[in-house]
Amino acid sequence: MLQWTNLDVFRGETQVLWGVCLYIKAGERVAVLGSNGAGKSTLLGATMGAIEPKGGDIAFKGISLKGMRPHQIVRMGLAIVPEGRRIYKDMSVWENLQMGAYPRRGRHLLAESADIICELFPVLRERRDQRAGTLSGGEQQMLAIGRALMSRPEVLLIDELSLGLAPIITRQIFKALDALPGETTILMVEQNVEQALKHSARAYVLESGRVVRSGPSVELARDDHIRKAYLGL
Amino acid sequence: MNGVVIGVIYALAALGVSLVVGIMNVINFAHGELYILAGYFSFLFADALGWNMYLSLAVAVFLVFLFGIFIEYILIRPTYGNEMYSLILTFILSIVLQNAYLLIFGPYPNKPPTWIKGATEVFGLFFYGNQRLAALVVGAFVITAVFLVIKLTWFGKIVRAASQDREMAELNGVNTLYLNMLSFGLGCALAGAAGVILAPVFPVTPTAGVQVALTAFVVVVLGGMGSLWGCVVGGLVLGLVENLGAAFLSTGYKHIFGFIILILVLLIRPAGLFGRKEI
Repeated sequence: MLQWTNLDVFRGETQVLWGVCLYIKAGERVAVLGSNGAGKSTLLGATMGAIEPKGGDIAFKGISLKGMRPHQIVRMGLAIVPEGRRIYKDMSVWENLQMGAYPRRGRHLLAESADIICELFPVLRERRDQRAGTLSGGEQQMLAIGRALMSRPEVLLIDELSLGLAPIITRQIFKALDALPGETTILMVEQNVEQALKHSARAYVLESGRVVRSGPSVELARDDHIRKAYLGL
Repeated sequence: MNGVVIGVIYALAALGVSLVVGIMNVINFAHGELYILAGYFSFLFADALGWNMYLSLAVAVFLVFLFGIFIEYILIRPTYGNEMYSLILTFILSIVLQNAYLLIFGPYPNKPPTWIKGATEVFGLFFYGNQRLAALVVGAFVITAVFLVIKLTWFGKIVRAASQDREMAELNGVNTLYLNMLSFGLGCALAGAAGVILAPVFPVTPTAGVQVALTAFVVVVLGGMGSLWGCVVGGLVLGLVENLGAAFLSTGYKHIFGFIILILVLLIRPAGLFGRKEI
């Protein structure tokens, strides 16, 4: 579905990603783990066209995404839940969801997608006409996920879902993601290693911009290095 | 009464500035010259070419819209990421346009034909020029139309989204380059609309735009950067204060009252009447 090959990405003068190779198959749930500054967000930024990679390639269903602008990539069928949620605070919850359905692929299914999302996160239906800025952190995260799903993406990228949320809310949202229909491919980037491994089939570990471990999540959860470095065991 | 009419036109001119500032973070110094341009166009079509008056109004505004898109494409687009360049470029554009007007139309005031003649008695109190009343009605109509578009249409939604978070709007599939071009054109068209409405009352001269642009900036700052409601309220406040001040004190100080109000408001609310605090 999506394939990253030998990706080199710079932020200004500094090289952040060094020859990163990843892939994700249709319908798969994959996690990218790593601590602060490991290059996780940069990986997503490069995928969505916000940062131009210096070397390597990113391909979606065999088509290279290099040189495309973010809105074109979104229209092809990728969607992102950005770090820090970035909902439109001065617009209502409903308008935020509508904005998600802006790409043509989502617009004609607007009502149907909204129903599915409100089924997933009932809070959003209750708060439909409320200003999005007045929602709690967890509700805002649900809205950000809902907004991304409104475009009917084939691949959903989630950046730091657990950031700044209470553990109980994080668990609740991860469970909701598990309940999504199987055809939605999800790549999540996480610092919360324990939860991410629990809710993904495969995982990659990024350290200082390089993939240092990869494999099925169950195996990684037993890996000594990961248990020491990330789970504190 | 004069205050309300002028206030509505101020608001109209300021809406254009505010739209462009909110979405693109670009300050268009040539805003006033576009206002004048529309005035000249309507004069040219209706007076010199003898077209139908309403047609010439519409064509004038449309041409300014196209001109705005052209400016965005040629001058503003290469400067994204550095607001100082666009500031200087539009400033130069304003001087170039002023001198072009001077060459083409000469230094004399030009006035398109009035829409209607005569005066109406208002509330049995005083007589008021029909042309000015018409300006009020049309101005209010255009402002209402802008608000409806912003509130109800997809275009309005992406405008609001992009002025809150450009990058996120792009990540929601909005082609923000295209949006920039369109909203810059629309901002110019709003200046043009204010121009054609007011030109029959206050004839256009090559440099009259400077005052208009200055006032529009005052209104935008008064109302709060990027707030469209702020423009309407700010425009009305400024129009009323200037004219009441002129009526009760002296016309010579007319513009001073506006700036006094501006300073007072900024002392109490630094972000303007409806401004959001920048984070």
